[in-house]
Amino acid sequence: MSRSYERCTKCILSAAFPRIEFDENGVCNFCRETILYTNESDSIIKAGKQIEMLIESSKGKSEYDAVMCYSGGKDSTYTLMLAVKKYGLRVLSFTFDNGYISPTAFENIRRVTNHLGVDQFTFSPSPENMNAIIKASALNPIYNARTLTRISSVCNSCISIVNMTALKISMEKKIPFILAGFTLGQIPLNGIIYKNNYEFLRESREIPLNKLREKAGRFVDSYLTLPDSLINGSDAYPHTLNLLCLEELTEQEIIEAVSEMGWRAPGDVDGCSSNCMLNSFSNMVHQKALGYNPYELELSHLIRKGLMTREEALVKIADQPVEQQARVMNELGITEHDIAHLDQLYRKI
Amino acid sequence: MSDNIKKLLLEFICRNFMVDEEEVPLDKSLVDAGIIDSIGLIEISNFMEKEFNIKIEEEDLTRDNFGSVEKMVSFIKRRIES
Repeated sequence: MSRSYERCTKCILSAAFPRIEFDENGVCNFCRETILYTNESDSIIKAGKQIEMLIESSKGKSEYDAVMCYSGGKDSTYTLMLAVKKYGLRVLSFTFDNGYISPTAFENIRRVTNHLGVDQFTFSPSPENMNAIIKASALNPIYNARTLTRISSVCNSCISIVNMTALKISMEKKIPFILAGFTLGQIPLNGIIYKNNYEFLRESREIPLNKLREKAGRFVDSYLTLPDSLINGSDAYPHTLNLLCLEELTEQEIIEAVSEMGWRAPGDVDGCSSNCMLNSFSNMVHQKALGYNPYELELSHLIRKGLMTREEALVKIADQPVEQQARVMNELGITEHDIAHLDQLYRKI
Repeated sequence: MSDNIKKLLLEFICRNFMVDEEEVPLDKSLVDAGIIDSIGLIEISNFMEKEFNIKIEEEDLTRDNFGSVEKMVSFIKRRIES
């Protein structure tokens, strides 16, 4: 096997990606063996049927049928549209404001929820707490190596808060479904539909949570754990559904569909995000720590499925505005010195 | 039967979570070992359902059943035999 290639010649996985091996043509083992996120159409069809049955049996029994984790990005906008128009769900839209959401994304949220007639609320943790979590996540190896193959550390902290807040809302209001806008590649095939089990989640997150407590403070518990009163008072946990995984769409098709509801692409985010001004910084930190862009796995999956060209994917990961990174570092009080040796720190994971 | 279950489970874990077999502790939690996260637990339970044709309920997802490879093997064996 040759390891002289910097990046797979078929997808965009780079030589620094864990367990990668190139053949004599520079094609990686992930392309050859489809080790991860295989396109098992029968599994997708099965998940689709399961989702339809679950929706049929649970619809109309609570104040809302579903809590939508709505970031204002194009994928979650399309998912919200699917939930309302295709599945006929009564949705409570929930947005997590990490302090770095593009103003255009907020305008999109207002326009789209108004267009679809959906109730919407935003949860904004205090900037002091949120910045402490972001800083701790950026500068420390909080999560395990496997998690970091598909998401940056900072993104994972934000998404963990989104998931936990959505779980709280759904349990408080006895809402049977949580909707997320992930696509295959961002999550594995088995993640299209799953039932939340808090004990299960708590145990699996204990190690990273302890690291975050140590680096950011005990206050993180209020964002990343459920209160006992809610656990003891609940007889059922909601299902999480990733409806967008059931659709085969190009990015352009998604953009065209959401544009009809008034969605506009923000001009102040990087090539891999359509809502978050923190993303470029998070990607840069991930690249420094681990040697590859956190979007490589997701975009490579889209390339293998024929939903994106390799060239388009390369343009996306190259679009990382340095001025945004500098702004975020200034806001968080992080210096170049702080991130200079992240690779050495991450060797321990 | 246990050996075959263990073999199939280890093959899945190694292939899917990008580890070598010698890195997988048999008697310790894969979460604690840093091999899987919460999504990984979902992947393993779904693999078990599909590969061994068993049904896994929410209440089965405990440390007693999923706390190590050996515990998973015992759980699968019990479920197949029941």
